[in-house]
Amino acid sequence: MKRVMGLAVALGLLASGPAGAADTIKIGLMAPMTGSWASEGQEMKRNVDLLAEQANAKGGLNGKKIEVVIEDDGGDPRTASLAAQRLTTKGVVAVIGTYGSAVTEATQNIYDEAGITQIANGSTAVRLTEKGLKHFFRTCPRDDEQGKVGAATIQKMGAKRIALLHDSSAYAKGLADEINTILKANKQNVVFFDALTPKEQDYSAILTKLKAANPDVVFFTGYYPEAGLLLKQKKQMGWNVPFMGGDAINNPDLVKIAGKDAAAGFQFLSPPVPKDLDTPEAKAYVVAYKQKYGESPASIYGVLAGDGFLSVTKAIAETKSTDADKIRDYLVNKMKDFPGLTGKLAFNAKGDRVGELYRVYKVDKNGEFVLQPK
Amino acid sequence: MEQFLQQLINGLAVGGIYALIALGYTMVYGVLKLINFAHGDLFTYGGYLGLTLLTSFALQGHLGTFGAIAILTAMVMGLVGIMGVVLERAAYRPLRESPRLSAVVSALGASIFLQNTLMLIYGARFQVYPEGLLPQVAVSLFGLQVPLIRILVVLASVVMMTALYLFVQKTKVGTAVRAAAIDQGAARLMGIDVNKVVSLVFLIGPALGGAAGLLVGLYYGQVNFTMGWIYGMKAFTAAILGGIGNIPGAMVGGLLLGVIEALGAAYISIAWKDAIAFCVLILILIVRPTGLLGERVAEKV
Repeated sequence: MKRVMGLAVALGLLASGPAGAADTIKIGLMAPMTGSWASEGQEMKRNVDLLAEQANAKGGLNGKKIEVVIEDDGGDPRTASLAAQRLTTKGVVAVIGTYGSAVTEATQNIYDEAGITQIANGSTAVRLTEKGLKHFFRTCPRDDEQGKVGAATIQKMGAKRIALLHDSSAYAKGLADEINTILKANKQNVVFFDALTPKEQDYSAILTKLKAANPDVVFFTGYYPEAGLLLKQKKQMGWNVPFMGGDAINNPDLVKIAGKDAAAGFQFLSPPVPKDLDTPEAKAYVVAYKQKYGESPASIYGVLAGDGFLSVTKAIAETKSTDADKIRDYLVNKMKDFPGLTGKLAFNAKGDRVGELYRVYKVDKNGEFVLQPK
Repeated sequence: MEQFLQQLINGLAVGGIYALIALGYTMVYGVLKLINFAHGDLFTYGGYLGLTLLTSFALQGHLGTFGAIAILTAMVMGLVGIMGVVLERAAYRPLRESPRLSAVVSALGASIFLQNTLMLIYGARFQVYPEGLLPQVAVSLFGLQVPLIRILVVLASVVMMTALYLFVQKTKVGTAVRAAAIDQGAARLMGIDVNKVVSLVFLIGPALGGAAGLLVGLYYGQVNFTMGWIYGMKAFTAAILGGIGNIPGAMVGGLLLGVIEALGAAYISIAWKDAIAFCVLILILIVRPTGLLGERVAEKV
């Protein structure tokens, strides 16, 4: 009986596969639906789902419905390369994602060889767009841009002894190196440069060592789970040094993990958070998002995934084609000041987003992220 | 010197948690020669169950801080212990007579199942214990300011480990556990119900792991569904370091691993902390292949 059913299911799949493919345009979403960045992945899915729904309600794309095909990259390069291979066999014309730089890097060549446009939403490592891949784009800014803003902010604070801490990931190490190079070039005193092990709970050994180096400011370039724990344990030690961080710390869970008291005063660099987006498109979008999910978008990276979706669907609609070369031509040469959710969208020949995005944010006493004046 | 003592205390606090989890690995291995890879996830369940019980019964308001924590610990240990027994019945007992590899695969499967179930129930985001639960007092110790909770974490793990050691060494049931660990067939001939012993081991080991999860939740204030993996790996290492199958070995291995990590981070490099810890492990295993306190047991034929 089982075998008969299995056969029936297999036949059913065969029958429905090609028939379904003809009347939809498939857009892939590769996101960390599980693993330690799962909350980011679920945000990405919510944004892309909502935008696809909106587009389909308006009649879809070139007369066809858009179908979002999701694969889980687990926030892990190995899982991601398998996810990418699965997506390439499912007939997607473009892929949105993903969040972590190392994870994206594991999939770039797979999509490139398959001739599929990839638009990453959170991968800021510089080298991703320096490889000359024709079909890779990203809606987030690059770490060298972030490094400049970071170094400038540290110098503006007037810190004499600077500590840099990263977590050995492609993104965090890249950003820390970037800042370190700029600071050294400006003859600043970097007294500490080292890496912690991510995903642990206890960072007191690292904090004790940091404290012994006696810095005026500590810049941590890693992700929000570790940043939250560092802030909390720093507070428990009774140590009052100002902490700063990069854009991977922009997640409301930071305050949940650290506690409001410990997070207060923490500063980080980031593209503007969803509530500070002030274009009419963004405001209308946040309202629609609230209607569907009952809360505002929590993470900017989810919204940036939405921008990736908007860019690629715009390109397909304008060129009336799903050919990756034509999409590239449109994104690089023809798209100028397209109003996205996080501001105007345009890409340069490397696939990087054009324009300045970084702002400085500070956590206030109530745990809110407050945009600092430029 | 102050830095050294501070790092020593940091290391002992982390090591205490490793040791509590390592006990679960070592007990199961001692009796069944099975590495229970799902043990790290049972530890995570301890952290999550503690959070749920704490917030849903509002224990703190009724009993005061320490009364609440005592009851909470008992409840969490009981529940995670029962989960351990169910896990053994469902995933390991059917494979008792199969080749050892099958049981290991089953353990890995159970681990993935438990972890993802937790994610589906609680969601992927971090869960946070209520703030201000424990008094934030620092105690002066050898001229150092040490948070009281750090000391309590170490004390709690030492008390639980000692209780377990005495139970296994001094009671009749403990003797049965040791007998089953040495030779199951002979133990059965002596009238010991080996299945009951195995269930007991799967009650106590996960209960201690659950208690460790609760301690982590209370102390660090934050739990996430993947935390069992890293803690599990470290505790497994600690069990090997001390000599797997040996209860005092798990304690010594756990505390030692914590201290090596802290001192390695302090005096060599933070980024190389794990590499240093594992180098020490390799060196110890080269000199003593059975671990620090492990005994050479004759191969069964």
